[in-house]
Amino acid sequence: MIEIRALRVVMPPDTVALHGVDLVVKPGEFVVIIGRSGAGKTTFLRSINRLVEPTAGTVRVAGQLVTGADPGALRQIRRQIGMIFQQFNLVRRASVLDNVLAGRLGYVPEWPSLVGRFPEPDRALARECLAQVGLAEFADRRADTLSGGEQQRVAIARALAQEPRVILGDEPTASLDPALADSIMGILGRINRERHLTLVVSQHQLETALDHGTRIVGFRAGRIVFDGPPAAVSPDVVRSVYGEAAA
Amino acid sequence: MAIAWHIDADPARLVRGLPWMWGFIRRMVPPDLGVLPAALKGAVGTIEIALLGTGLAATLAIPLGFLSARNVAPPVLYYTVRTALNFFRSIDTLVYALLFVAAVGLGPFPGMLAVVAYTTTSLAKLYSETIEGIDPGPVDAIRATGSTQLQVLRFGILPQVLPLFLSYVLYRFESNVRAATVLGFVGAGGLGLYLQTYLRMIDYPAASTVLLVTVAMVMAVDFASARIRARLV
Repeated sequence: MIEIRALRVVMPPDTVALHGVDLVVKPGEFVVIIGRSGAGKTTFLRSINRLVEPTAGTVRVAGQLVTGADPGALRQIRRQIGMIFQQFNLVRRASVLDNVLAGRLGYVPEWPSLVGRFPEPDRALARECLAQVGLAEFADRRADTLSGGEQQRVAIARALAQEPRVILGDEPTASLDPALADSIMGILGRINRERHLTLVVSQHQLETALDHGTRIVGFRAGRIVFDGPPAAVSPDVVRSVYGEAAA
Repeated sequence: MAIAWHIDADPARLVRGLPWMWGFIRRMVPPDLGVLPAALKGAVGTIEIALLGTGLAATLAIPLGFLSARNVAPPVLYYTVRTALNFFRSIDTLVYALLFVAAVGLGPFPGMLAVVAYTTTSLAKLYSETIEGIDPGPVDAIRATGSTQLQVLRFGILPQVLPLFLSYVLYRFESNVRAATVLGFVGAGGLGLYLQTYLRMIDYPAASTVLLVTVAMVMAVDFASARIRARLV
């Protein structure tokens, strides 16, 4: 589903964020990425839909080449990749439903969408996605009146509204307390099992990562230092990912 | 000190002038309320100039604001537009009024054009700074859905900046009501025209009525606009 070859990202002027990373994610996997801050997790995730421009290497999603795609092709690919973020990144002043509808922007006719007109099937789909995260009755509330956990569920609904093949999560639970973090990861796990959606999510909380992921990938200093099932994460692995102090 | 000397600053001259100013004020009371209808007509003219001028400028400044925002515009456009705006913004409304009076003749129309010219550049600057200060998070999120540039603008940026834009527009409207009062002095319509006419005719009671109407008008506009702005932000 996702095929990454020799991905290298250099941040100007000369900070190397990723040193030639290779990773193949199969359909239906729930990959959880672990590693310390600055290990390259965010850069890696944002390279997959080119919110960060890779310096070298190739990224393929669902068979389509993301790297080098022209703007039109890139939009076609992006709409198949949902993304959720640490800060939720909702449009705070807009309603919850409008935020979820934003997930349809890659599909609906451009000009009507600019004046806020969305086809009825898209509206229905947005409401359905909102119901799936248990927030149907919040549709008309302003996004910034919701709690953090609720806002992240709206963001998940927005990603689902894209009818994506893949969902990327950049530390989606780092701004939430542990119980909420676990419930958000639980929702993602359910989506992964029920919809057979491929997920790649970074997670700074090791126990949460092991509880929910079907595959763990450890980053350290811009390189993958571990790749295997949760059961294979031994104290030695933890040391190699987080450094001596963590063990 | 050197500057004070250079501009001929002399407290003695101010003191010597005080009795004259006192006489000036005494001759202004009581105000001649007979010219009240004329003054009110001037006030309406002034507000019309400010309203139409600010409205047009608020619209014209939107594309310019985006083109001069570092995080939105391509670098070449950004530097070109920003430089042009800085150049035109250094010219004051009153100077524009002189130019437009010379170009299109006397009346409220050149006054409105002057307001448009200055307000467009100053709002464009405020808009662009607002755009540069937005939260990039929602913009990333909208880009990630496969949106076009225009959709990113409409759904990621506009909701963040629009309330602030409106607040700046109202603030400029307040300033423009004051500016439009002075515009009459150079023949560009509004209350200032009446004030200048009465002062020339040495009709101080009539001039004081015009001044009172000006103060009342500016206070009313400030009050109304401040209340609307408080609701926006």
